[in-house]
This record gives sequence, C-alpha cells and structure tokens, in this order.
Amino acid sequence: MSQQWTRPATRTEIIDQLVEGVDRYNPSNVSILEDYLYHQIREREYDCLANLAILKLYQFNPDLYNPDVVINILIKALTAAPSPDFNLCMALLGERQNLPLSDNEPDPLIPLLPSLRNLSTLLQTCRFPAFWESYQSEELSPLRENYTVEYAGFHDSVREVVVRAVKVTFETIGKERLGHYLNLTGEDLEAYVSSLGWSLNPSTGVISIPPNPDNQIKATVTRENITLPSITKAHRTFRCLARFGDGKALGCLSSLLTSFEPYAILVEANTIILVLKN
Amino acid sequence: MIDEATLVVMQQQMAQQAAFAQIPDVVKRFILHFYQSILDNNVPEINAAYESGWNKLTEKYYAKTEWPDAELIAPLVNDDQVFLTLYRELYYRHVYSRLSPDVDDRFHSYENSCELFNYILNSEGPVPLDLPEQWLWDIIDEFIYQYQSFCIWRSKVKSKTEEELNMLADGAQIWSTYSVLNVLYSLIQKSKINESLAAARRGESPEAIAEIVGEFGSRPLYRTLGYFSLIGLLRVHTLLGDYTLALKVMDNIELNQKARLTACHVATYYYVAFCYLALRRYPDANRTLVNVLNFVSRMRPYHTRSYQYDQINKTADRMYALLAIGIALSPTRLDENTMIGLKDRYGDQYAKMQRGSEGLAAFEELFIYACPKFISSSPPPYEDPDLLALYIQDPPVDPPQRHLALFLADVRSQAAVPTLRSFLKLYSSLDAQKLANFLDEDEEELVQQMMMLKQASRSISRAGIDGGRLLDGETISTSDLDFAIDGNMVHIVESTIGRRYGSLFIRNTEYAQRIFDNLRNSPLPIPKAASPTVAEAPTTPIAAAPKVAKVTWAKA
Repeated sequence: MSQQWTRPATRTEIIDQLVEGVDRYNPSNVSILEDYLYHQIREREYDCLANLAILKLYQFNPDLYNPDVVINILIKALTAAPSPDFNLCMALLGERQNLPLSDNEPDPLIPLLPSLRNLSTLLQTCRFPAFWESYQSEELSPLRENYTVEYAGFHDSVREVVVRAVKVTFETIGKERLGHYLNLTGEDLEAYVSSLGWSLNPSTGVISIPPNPDNQIKATVTRENITLPSITKAHRTFRCLARFGDGKALGCLSSLLTSFEPYAILVEANTIILVLKN
Repeated sequence: MIDEATLVVMQQQMAQQAAFAQIPDVVKRFILHFYQSILDNNVPEINAAYESGWNKLTEKYYAKTEWPDAELIAPLVNDDQVFLTLYRELYYRHVYSRLSPDVDDRFHSYENSCELFNYILNSEGPVPLDLPEQWLWDIIDEFIYQYQSFCIWRSKVKSKTEEELNMLADGAQIWSTYSVLNVLYSLIQKSKINESLAAARRGESPEAIAEIVGEFGSRPLYRTLGYFSLIGLLRVHTLLGDYTLALKVMDNIELNQKARLTACHVATYYYVAFCYLALRRYPDANRTLVNVLNFVSRMRPYHTRSYQYDQINKTADRMYALLAIGIALSPTRLDENTMIGLKDRYGDQYAKMQRGSEGLAAFEELFIYACPKFISSSPPPYEDPDLLALYIQDPPVDPPQRHLALFLADVRSQAAVPTLRSFLKLYSSLDAQKLANFLDEDEEELVQQMMMLKQASRSISRAGIDGGRLLDGETISTSDLDFAIDGNMVHIVESTIGRRYGSLFIRNTEYAQRIFDNLRNSPLPIPKAASPTVAEAPTTPIAAAPKVAKVTWAKA
C-alpha cells in the first residue's frame, strides 16, 4: 500500500499517535477519531487506517456504536476503489449484533447496507453507468439526502475512481462513453476533461489520454537473472563451471577437462571422448 | 469428640491421600525431576522433560484422563507456586487437546494464564526463570488458542446449561479480548522487543541494543516472549478480521530472516499470507506461501518424529489450499515441486477455480477449509435475559461465513477474467464489438468488463521492495497478458518468459560433475612411450590416437 494510504500527509501528529500506538484501544479516544472522520469529509481528505481504528473501537465496545459514523466511513471507502477498503471496513463491521440502539431508534445502517454493498460492487467492477443510475435512484434518496450531501465533492471522488480505471485501460476514448462513465455532458464534460489534461478532438469527439506505463503496452521477454554467488553456494562444481557462461554445460565440460593432461577431451554429440595426446 | 467440620476435613485428607497414592511412582519421579530442573534453570533438562517425558507419560497414563490436580502434587514440590502454575499450564493444555474442557476448565485455565503472566510481568526485576523456546512459543500459542476456543464456545448460546449461563453472565472479563490484548501488549512493552528489533535493523551493536532494552529485555525469557507476542497479535488481529492492523504489528519484523522455531515460522507465514489474500495482494500472498512451503518440505526429514509434525503438516495442507486460491486469482508460475504438491492435494479444485464463476464452490470449499477460525470479539448479551432472547431469535452470521461472503464477493467481481483472457490470448488486436459478439455481450458492458480486467491485472506488491514493512508496496502488473483500448480497438500483447537457464544449467552441471567423477575414478589408458616422430607433428592436439576411451553421456 502506498505511503499516502498507510500514512496520509494530511494526518496530524495526534491522530498518528492514536493510529500507531496502543492508545487506539482506549474508548475515550473515539470522539477524536470521529471528529477526524468528519474533517476528512469536509476537507476532501482520506485516511483509511484512522477510520478502521474507529470501527475497531466499535468492535470491542459495542456501546460506542454510532451508525451515522459507520455509514460515512463506508461512503468514504467506496470511493477508494479499486482498493479493497470497503471490504476491510465490512470485515470489522459484521460482528454487530442486531440489538436495539440505546435510544431505541431504528438503526439507519441496516436498510442502507445492501445498497452500499451494491454500489461498492458496481465501482469495483467498473460498471460506472449502472453506479450512477443506482446512486440517483429514488430508493437511495435517504443516502443522498442524509449523508452524501454532507460529503464535500462526493461526485468528484467517484469520478476519480472512473479516471483511475479509464487512464490505465484506454489510449483514446469516445466522448460519449466517457461522459456516461463520469455522469457529465456538454460543457461540464469538456471542462472536466481539460482539467485532467486530456485532449478532446472536437471534430471526431475522441479524447486522447496521455501515455502512461499502463496504457502503453509492450511485449516483454522476462529473463531469468542468475547471480554468480547464488549458484556457487549451491554446488561446489559451479565454482569451476559458472565462469564459462550461460549454461552450455557441454562446452563447460570440455573446457574444464582440458586440465586433464596428458589427455585431451573431445565432446561429440552425447559422447565424451577421452584422447591421449601425442 | 470430633465435630462434623473436622470430620469433613479428615475425610477430604484421606481422599487426597488415596488419590496421591494412586499416582504412579514413575509420574511422581518425573514431576520431582521436572521441578528440580526448573529450580536449577537447567534448560536442556527442562527441554527433555517438556518435549519427551511429559508426552511419554501422557501416552502411558493420561491418554484419556487428566493429569493429577496441581493441589495433589503440591506436597511433592514444596508447594512451589511458580512450578504449580507452570504445571497447570501443561495440565490445561492437555485437557484442551486430549479431552473436552468444561466450563470450569475454561475459567480456570484463564485464571492460571493470568497468574503466570502476572508473575512474569509484575515482579520487581526479571524473574529468575529460563524456559525452552518451544515451551514459550507453546504458552503464547495456547493462550490464544484457548481464547479463540472460548469465543467460539461462548457464541453458541442455545446449548448452554443454567449454570453455564450464570457463570457467563457474571464472568464477562473471562477471556475478554481486551484482557488477551493486554497480556500480549504488556509482554511486548516489558521486553522492549519492538525497540530492540528496530535497533537491530538500524545495525546497532549488541551493546547498544542491550542498553536500549534494559534489564528485562536482555533476558532470553522476556525477549522471546516479546517476540512471540508480536506473532500472537498478528494472529489475534487476523482472527478478528483486522488485516491491516495484523500486518502493522509486524512492522519491525523482517520476514526473510532465518527461522527461529519451526512452529513460529510456519504460523507467521500462514497468517501473513492470509492477510495478503484478504487485502487482494495475491502476488504477495503467493510469494509468502511458496517460501514457507519450500521451507516445510526442506524441514520434513528433520521433523518426522517430532510431536509437532502433524500440526505443521496440517498447516502446510491449508497453505497449499490458500496457494491454490492465490494462483487461481492471480496466475503465477510456480516451481515444479510446489506445483506438484498443490496438484496432489487440490488438483480438482484448482482446475475448477481457474474457470471463474463456475469454480465458486471450489473457492468456497478451500477458503472454509484453509481460513483461520474467525471469532467474534463481543460476547452474546448473557447479562441481559431480554437482549439474550432477541439474540437467539436473530443471531449474527457466524464469523467464518461472514468473512467467506466478503471473500466470495471479491471472487465474483473477477469472475469474467478467465474467459476474457482466453479470448484475448488469441488476438493481437480485436474490435470491441467483435469480442462482444463472441461473448454474446453488449459492447458497452464488455468495455466495462475490460476495465475491470485491466485493474484485476494490477496489484500492490512488495516484490520490488527491499526490507520495508509488510504493508508497504507498489503497484505491479501481475499478468503476462496486457492490453489497451484505442477507441474501439483492443490491442493485445503477451509477455513471454525467456528460456530458463537456471535449472538447465544446474541439471547439466550435475551430469558434468557425475561424469567428471566417473572419469577420475576410471582407470586411465596407459600412455605409450613418447616417440619423437609423433611429438614433432602435433598439428591437432586431439588426434585420433590409438587409445580412445569412450564415456557415454547419460541420456537426458
């Protein structure tokens, strides 16, 4: 996992100590981490490990459980695709027993969870048009109205997931297709494309994506690298044979055996001929 | 006159004496000797008693019953509480492995573990105790095993008796996750093992490290327990489904180091590999598994008689299953031996898994067989009968099933990969519409699948990283097939692997060595007396001379 993922540059010293140290188990620290989550949501930051630390505290202390926080963590993790963040959160979550909340209110996570899972699958499998359709459906209005409305740049975060997938797969892509993926049309789409530094050919409607190591394919031949020390360790014979090159053992053998004075060695097909000189 | 209370005490004493008399003499002698070895801190003797004496007597006298109660043998060992705690450690471990522990055993084994760790952790200076590494590993290993076993037992509400329900309602702290983590973290902190490992990595001198770790950490007992506690944390976090934290506690451990203890080495690699699998870092999982499976097969000749042999073999079988999953999801060339080992065990499942969604049942079978026994850290609400009734009505999903569902979701999202790959392999460029027709799919759907395929052929991996921490990694390409889409045209290239010289070289060199030895050992033709005429005309040094010895090259 990249440095940015394991320790984002935006993480403060206090949070870092919590995430890295044993203080992460202290239930009284949960509010610090929860505040940090809301800060991430407002400021377009993301810190998966800090959010997992919240879920860990909920796992060990069911009393602390706050469904709104969990939903926000899952929404944040959605837009980390294709990274497995959503599943990492789910792995810590499932222990939740179906017990009533302390205020006897219904748990808002329960009806939302299947939809969130579905949205995650759609992003993981790059079915972006289906994602937008599902996300904007009537059924998911509670998710939009109560949660993602607070999430600064949620749409942009999803578009970043799209960009990550398109960038590695395409050299050029039709404007209409990309528009479907990004859920943008007309001037919005053109503005977004140019903000990425991608170029649109207005007459053909084809967008060129700058070359990167993933969309520039080339056939390679992988060669095995054998280092001399690794061979000499293996067998005493290699010490005398290894210097003769790339494994043509027959040649090696004949060279080796020239030291057999007064005999000379001839290798012919699969027969070694030992010849007395003179 | 004798009153009733005295009578009861006397009866108890008599019963005890009778029970004491029942203990075979050889067992009594063993305990005395064991006790003396521990008093003397004689590690080789302790080791012999621990690895062989105990097991032999278990086979002979206690294959189906408990060892004598600690209270019963107390007079033999001067009522030495430290020895009795160690003795109970073995006593309960025997109950867990050979018999079935009842609720009292479970509670008491917890209390005894606490006593042992309190003794080690809360003394003013380091305790004057030296135990063999194997035993220390087993103490930590068993501590976590009993915790795991308790969590699983605790989660089954329906089968509990009235008495058990009461005990569970009152004993919420027994085997609680916090108490288990507390022990492991305390051992880590007391031994300053993280500081010591970090200093060793920086290349500091042994004196400087001794300075850093202080009086506790420089004792083998603490250092070893500290190290094993790190592996213990790796295990506990994995059991609870926290894969990132599990790998994070290993930050200071370098995996490629020499194995200190076979059981520890194998466990470490198993859990690390499983975490990588859960993080979808398949290349790292595969590499870790191949590495340890090679280690196990190299170790096999030395372990045939060891009592851990079975355990290690079972873990190896499960690791082959994980490897089959790993290479089905991210095809990797394996060395011949490992591939044979894998196909011997899971050839059928492996073939099915390579076919994508058809193989879902095989993925499920191998995952459930090979995964750790996941647990749930929070107990059912035993203290509240109303909530408990609700819990019984609507219980949470079993932890292994829950983790299986998450894993299968990953597999399902990759299900189209094998089919797509097999078509792409046939072309160097292909129109997306045409490919969609082949597959009987909508073109737009297909292009989206292609993006998924592309991302599935990239993974985070530690392959190119020297040292560093287990969570570190860079994105690498994991497939020999690569493609890019230009408008609607899919361009495909395949990477090939050049001829492998390594094994050819080794094989031929071995032939060469054999022939060389043969030649040296065979009698040489007798040289003729040198004649001047021949000596003057050596145009070719290798002339077809009269004396010719032939050695036939072994047929390849």
